[in-house]
Amino acid sequence: MGKQVLYIEMDNCIGCRSCLAACTQCGGHDNRNRNYVLDVDPFISRQTIPLMCFHCVNPACARSCPAQAIQIADNGAVLSALVEKCIGCQNCTIACPYGIPKFDEEQNLMYKCDLCYDRTKEGIPPMCASVCPTNTLQWIEEAELEEKRAQIPLANGKWTASHDPDVLEGETNVKISLPGILQGKQKLF
Amino acid sequence: MPKDKFFKVIENKVHPNEKLVSTHCSYCGMQCGMNLRVDTTTNKIIGVEPRYDFPVNLGKMCPKGVTAYQQVNHPDRIQRPLIRTDASLKGTAEGFREASWEEALDLIVSKFKELQHNYGKDTLSVYSGVSMTNEKCYLTGKFARVALQTRYIDYNGRFCMSSAAAGLNRSLGIDRGSTIPWTDIHQTDCLFLAGSNAAECHPTSMFRIWEVQNRGGYLIVADPRETPLARRADIHLDLRPGTDLALANGIVHLLIKNGHIDEDFIRNHTNGFEETKEVVATFTPEYVSEITGVSVEKIVRAADIFGRAPDAIVMFCRGVEQQSKGTDNVSAYTNMSLVTGKIGRPKSGVATLTGQGNGQGGREHGQKADQLPGYRKLDNPEHVREIACAWGIPVEEMPQKGVSAYEMFQLMKDKTIRSLYLLCSNPVVSAPNLNHVRESLKSLDFMVCCDFYLSESAEYADVVLPVTTWAEDDGTTTNLEGRIIRHRQAQEWFAESKPDWWIQIEIANRMGRGQFFTHLKSPQDIFNEIRQVSKGGIADYYGVTYEKIDQNNGVFWPCREEGDEGQPHLFLDKKFYHPDGKAKICALPYRPPAEEPDEEYPLRLTTGRVVFHYLSGNQTRRIPFLKDMYPDPLLEVHPKTATRYGIEHDELVTLKTRRGEAQYRVKVIEAIREDTVFVPYHWGKEQSINLLTNPALDPYSKMPEFKACAAKIIKHKHGGVRHG
Repeated sequence: MGKQVLYIEMDNCIGCRSCLAACTQCGGHDNRNRNYVLDVDPFISRQTIPLMCFHCVNPACARSCPAQAIQIADNGAVLSALVEKCIGCQNCTIACPYGIPKFDEEQNLMYKCDLCYDRTKEGIPPMCASVCPTNTLQWIEEAELEEKRAQIPLANGKWTASHDPDVLEGETNVKISLPGILQGKQKLF
Repeated sequence: MPKDKFFKVIENKVHPNEKLVSTHCSYCGMQCGMNLRVDTTTNKIIGVEPRYDFPVNLGKMCPKGVTAYQQVNHPDRIQRPLIRTDASLKGTAEGFREASWEEALDLIVSKFKELQHNYGKDTLSVYSGVSMTNEKCYLTGKFARVALQTRYIDYNGRFCMSSAAAGLNRSLGIDRGSTIPWTDIHQTDCLFLAGSNAAECHPTSMFRIWEVQNRGGYLIVADPRETPLARRADIHLDLRPGTDLALANGIVHLLIKNGHIDEDFIRNHTNGFEETKEVVATFTPEYVSEITGVSVEKIVRAADIFGRAPDAIVMFCRGVEQQSKGTDNVSAYTNMSLVTGKIGRPKSGVATLTGQGNGQGGREHGQKADQLPGYRKLDNPEHVREIACAWGIPVEEMPQKGVSAYEMFQLMKDKTIRSLYLLCSNPVVSAPNLNHVRESLKSLDFMVCCDFYLSESAEYADVVLPVTTWAEDDGTTTNLEGRIIRHRQAQEWFAESKPDWWIQIEIANRMGRGQFFTHLKSPQDIFNEIRQVSKGGIADYYGVTYEKIDQNNGVFWPCREEGDEGQPHLFLDKKFYHPDGKAKICALPYRPPAEEPDEEYPLRLTTGRVVFHYLSGNQTRRIPFLKDMYPDPLLEVHPKTATRYGIEHDELVTLKTRRGEAQYRVKVIEAIREDTVFVPYHWGKEQSINLLTNPALDPYSKMPEFKACAAKIIKHKHGGVRHG
């Protein structure tokens, strides 16, 4: 089995928050969800989008950590702060452009999505992608990602997803397809 | 069956000192597969793991499914039988004391005998539900008719599935909610969903539904609200609540006019086309647009796409069925499949999305007022003879047909019925016109309620019996496809709770009718009796065994012989279940909802669900995650309507109909029609929207009109906007 990645198709999201509920069920997550779902424009439509950690290749949270408490696993997962190293300064919560790391006042510790490392290291999908009933969150092999990339190109040859963006944190291990994946889709009849 | 496009071989995560018990979710008709995590030292359920091998959901779960296990060892569980000590406190959680099973059962039986001695056998009644196993559903029907010997038994499926059942029976001669397995959905070319908020009510269908569009197929949605499903539809037919029949007739009109019909299929396999053609002739797009409020352009385009689609599936749900013409709506939408011949083959057909967990199986085994096991009818002497013989009772002892669920409350009010045995249902929240229902329950001489929480309905009981949850007992359910599946016991019975089947057999014994029940010592014994008794009926389970279910990940009925693998697809031989083998295309004149808006009540109220709650909310309102996500019901109002009433988002207002009123906070959203308001129905007490809903019944199915009634908003003098 090749390398697997978390891939997000924003347009599929129905706002059910299964991913949040499932996140609480992952080992070591202490019944707290580490991912979020946003209502895009609640007065207008029911469009929602998941907000997950993108597991940046060069993550601001880790870069900003003075104690080097945020480790990056072999599969690219950016992990929660190590208990023995985290000094509770909350630099990471400020540095992350997506607002993912949260701070536990009681434990004086940062916690964030760790891509269910206890599962993904064994080839099991993260809980959020396992349960997502809409295929908004998918755990796919890189070959499948390439197929998706080929299916939904933009006129400029790029695709509607987060390919090598220059903004924010640059390259991420989680790939995103923005709303609009059906635009230009060839109909069957 | 071949492996699904979405199927992946994935090993399960097993934590140290734990085992996984593979079973199914307790909630909606999808009956998603899931694994319960059981601590092997305490033998308690402590969590959930996805079950990737069950073909319907492949590990996917909605937020209710993920947290379902939390109801099992919940602190609100009733631990011991409760006996009411203060009748003046009926309708509240106060005035109970704990009792032993001996005492509670003795009291029940002595009261039942006393009432029957004074007022006749039929003074007792049984009101059940379909969120329970086939075994319990079957036994409840037998319990009422053989142990209690009463004619009055019905169930909350009247509020859920009965219009689908009546409509499908009339059109196709059989009531299996889906003519195709769910694994066909993503392979079709055009999916037409009417009155279904599948994204919130059946979320694990969504990966298949979106795949239709991903493949270049079309998604057409008929719904007054722009639901998460309608948001992405190719065509959203945003009709006024209660006008589906006109829309369906209009589409059939266009299918005929545009030559998109299958003349060979109509000639060889259907009746009624000519009459229907005549009725729909007047349903021009302009006329339909006038009734429904949907633009002519959208109606024409929807009919064109459906007509041109090589394969198409029509799906419908409560939005269509919970109307005083729900049965006609179901037949009218089924007409679309029949005139085009898009039924009786893979990737084409009709399906209803079942709300309750065992909405399908629960209506097959004889807990309906007019029905006996195997879909046999009480007004058919031959059917009565067959079942009386199977049960070992004289034919003349079989009680007559009773009345439907809502009609039972009227009989309680006039003292025809003096006692109620309620299980697996919470009618004080889920029935329409609740003020009437509450008064009816208060007027009872004696009421028993079986539940695992003290529901709003249990608060009216004289005796409350604590029962086990779905995860504490074995049994089968039949999901929305018609697939019979296994639920497995994952932990021992909680505290002193007992399964419903144990309780019913115990009461039967004490009523002096034990000889008809004592051979049933386990759910599997009961299932084997279902197999025998359903043999030769339409819903034939004879060939289904627990072992076969395990081997095949479920078995589709009808399954008539031991070597029979079951039928995922119905009508592949183009034989329908009417005596002549033909389906019926139904000619259905339009009639408006029972109550139309007027000057005093200018809005249309429609009700439904949210993704975080199930039915009356008795279970889900107690789960912290679900409660936090949607704590109170909201009144959805279009911004223009809000402006007209001078109300703001989050303002507390009163919503009123001719039957009652309640207060809600306003949710302003453009995703609803200007003439319509929406409130979800999962809450009890003063938050119940069913205080307001219309009990007008469908003449065939006796289903109330939850989905359309006239209403008005009353602004409070001092606003009441919550800030901060």
